[in-house]
Amino acid sequence: MITRNDHSVWLRNRRKPSESDSYRKSSRNDRIDEQNDIATEDQSLMADLQVTLNRLKLRNPILVASGTFGYAREMAAFVNFSDLGGIVPKTVTGESRIGNPPPRTVETSSGMLNSIGLDNDGIDVFINKHVPYLTGLDTALIANVAGRTVDDFAMLAERLSGVSGIAAVELNISCPNVSGGVDFGTNPDSAKEVVAAVRNACPFPVIAKLTPNVTDITAIAAGAAEGGADAVSCVNTFQGMAIDWRRRKAVLGNVLGGLSGPAIKPLALRCVYQIAKSVDIPIIGIGGISTIDDVLEFLVAGATAVQIGTANFYNPAVSGSMATLLNQQLDADGIRSVAEIVGSIHQTTQQSC
Amino acid sequence: MNRDNSNVEPHSCEEISLPGQIEFARQHTGKILSQRVLADKTFAIRIDARELAEAITPGQFFMIRPERGTDPLLGRPFALYDTIVDDQGMPVALEFAYHVVGKMTNLMSEWESGENVVVWGPLGNGFPFYEGNHLLCVGGGIGYTPFLGVSRETLGTRLYGDSSKSSRATRESANPERRVTLCYGAQSQRYLADLSDFDDFDSSRFRIQISTDDGSAGHHGFVTDLVAQNLSAQGNDRPDGVYCCGPERMMAAVASICQAENVPCWLSLETPMACGFGACFSCVTKVVTDDGWDYRRTCIEGPVFPAESLAFQEN
Ligand SMILES: Cc1cc2nc3c(=O)[nH]c(=O)nc-3n(C[C@H](O)[C@H](O)[C@H](O)COP(=O)(O)OP(=O)(O)OC[C@H]3O[C@@H](n4cnc5c(N)ncnc54)[C@H](O)[C@@H]3O)c2cc1C
Ligand SMILES: Cc1cc2nc3c(=O)[nH]c(=O)nc-3n(C[C@H](O)[C@H](O)[C@H](O)COP(=O)(O)O)c2cc1C
Ligand code: FES
Repeated sequence: MITRNDHSVWLRNRRKPSESDSYRKSSRNDRIDEQNDIATEDQSLMADLQVTLNRLKLRNPILVASGTFGYAREMAAFVNFSDLGGIVPKTVTGESRIGNPPPRTVETSSGMLNSIGLDNDGIDVFINKHVPYLTGLDTALIANVAGRTVDDFAMLAERLSGVSGIAAVELNISCPNVSGGVDFGTNPDSAKEVVAAVRNACPFPVIAKLTPNVTDITAIAAGAAEGGADAVSCVNTFQGMAIDWRRRKAVLGNVLGGLSGPAIKPLALRCVYQIAKSVDIPIIGIGGISTIDDVLEFLVAGATAVQIGTANFYNPAVSGSMATLLNQQLDADGIRSVAEIVGSIHQTTQQSC
Repeated sequence: MNRDNSNVEPHSCEEISLPGQIEFARQHTGKILSQRVLADKTFAIRIDARELAEAITPGQFFMIRPERGTDPLLGRPFALYDTIVDDQGMPVALEFAYHVVGKMTNLMSEWESGENVVVWGPLGNGFPFYEGNHLLCVGGGIGYTPFLGVSRETLGTRLYGDSSKSSRATRESANPERRVTLCYGAQSQRYLADLSDFDDFDSSRFRIQISTDDGSAGHHGFVTDLVAQNLSAQGNDRPDGVYCCGPERMMAAVASICQAENVPCWLSLETPMACGFGACFSCVTKVVTDDGWDYRRTCIEGPVFPAESLAFQEN
């Protein structure tokens, strides 16, 4: 039943773009990011953007983060999906979940808190309703799953193995908004166990998505690596809260939430840097990425790929523009491939304390 | 345009329809053309965003944020107030009205002509094209703004959205007897917006009734009193449909009056939003399903809902 797929398939176009794709090609979204205004004249875009994270090959390192891109349909008006290295749709669980009571998000200084609570319709609806659309898109599909037990995770991975066209599975062992989910991400042995179980249950590459809400994130990354993870994605949101002091109440319906957006970028960069320094595993950098400079900072810190999250909400066209910007920037700096710049900080600096 | 399926059908749990998911929504940078005062802490901003102006219809909204900076970070949703048309009647810009409540709206009140802003839209389903005889629009506070466009469209004096679509055809057959009554409630006179934009309607087909909570203008009391009065009238004076936008409590009250009077009612929700296009799942509201209720995204299943499809929060 389980067959080993050739995941390098993601380097090729899997089907002819449909009519609606060509409709999107004529996307009239203005490019708006002031920090991204690199010369747009026709340049010879030569840099090699392909990246390899063990068994997972991507045509470029620009992914979009789970929970910030819906099931992709929602973004179709703004993004030409073939410009992305891959899509990570919203986390799916075994059973449907109603999610947390509103308010589910609140803006904070240069960031936002969310406590969506894994609102989703469950694996059956995901496979029947969303996967057919997602696998029809010209980009890699990285399913993101969350379970309460090791068996849950393995069952979800096994269900997904029955579906063709999935490039990898990302394990959300780090959601701070539901009890049970976060435990696997806070203990290296559990992280190892859940990754190993999923690896056994499915043929595709396995990515462990880590929570930063731990004392030593490198220990968890090491656990995931020992369990056989192809990569770790780093990081999920930082636990936080917002208070309306006049009403003596928490702002979020769920009281606590996860912080994301530009506010967390330095914290996330630190996590990527530390893991890259001490654990031998490819890293997908996540946290506050919204400009091409942000992307490059994460690559230099040691990430082989990145995910754009909160920025999709306030700059919906941004993810689709990033691979081109990356190409232009590498070209302008005479860098021939993404691989050349990944982790380059570790060749040039010494730790000072 | 997805305007036809926003009608009375209750939301069913098997087939989730997303009438507010707009495939031709786009992100644009546009210049502020002007900003004017409508009332205390209430302003209207005109933006040079031709494509958005061409596409948007009454009750739809768009998101807006400054071109630069990350604080405020997220866009904020605002409903269409008016489109600005050129000599040929083609929309070239749009206007929205807002009330200052917090971080972004305070900043917006300092925006000046010539500044760039980023907008994305059109978003949401908008109000259905009204095909009854007498439409009652009920606006609470800044919630009155969608009803300028709604009234124009209903009375056939302006087209909105892609003109090749149904609105033009419907206008051709627009019922010359069709009427609109706008009930507009505010806390007090100083928050009552300048209503001169509504002056160009034919007074035999359009009227405005005002209420203030403190009695400083119009009826002394809630706008719901006016709704009840209107619905107790006879013949064509009695509205046969109600569109409502305002604070949730007021909308719940209007919905229950309409239910008692057996008049169809649509509500436009102002749930706080982070993206406006369905990606974040933060704007959820309780929608009635076959087996109770479910949280649904206001931005792409609404923001306009038939009142009976909503499960109001107890408070
Ligand atoms: C579809 C839609 C259309 C809208 N159209 C208009 C419009 O045409 N004109 C207009 O003035 N406003 C409109 N709103 C509301 C408007 O989006 C908010 O007032 C605005 O986001 C407030 O931003 P802020 O940064 O100033 O306030 P914040 O600093 O974000 O919030 C300040 C305070 O207001 C509260 N608040 C924020 N948003 C809302 C809300 N939606 N409802 C109730 N309380 C809220 C917050 O909880 C907080 O206490 C609309 C909302 C929606 C969803
Ligand atoms: C509204 C919202 C919902 C999210 N939902 C999920 C989710 O379902 N699964 C998951 O693994 N991460 C989820 N995340 C976390 C993001 O994928 C990402 O790790 C985090 O937001 C940090 O990146 P950013 O700062 O670029 O947003 C969510 C984040 C936000 C803001
Ligand atoms: S505002 Fe993001 S899903 Fe509705």
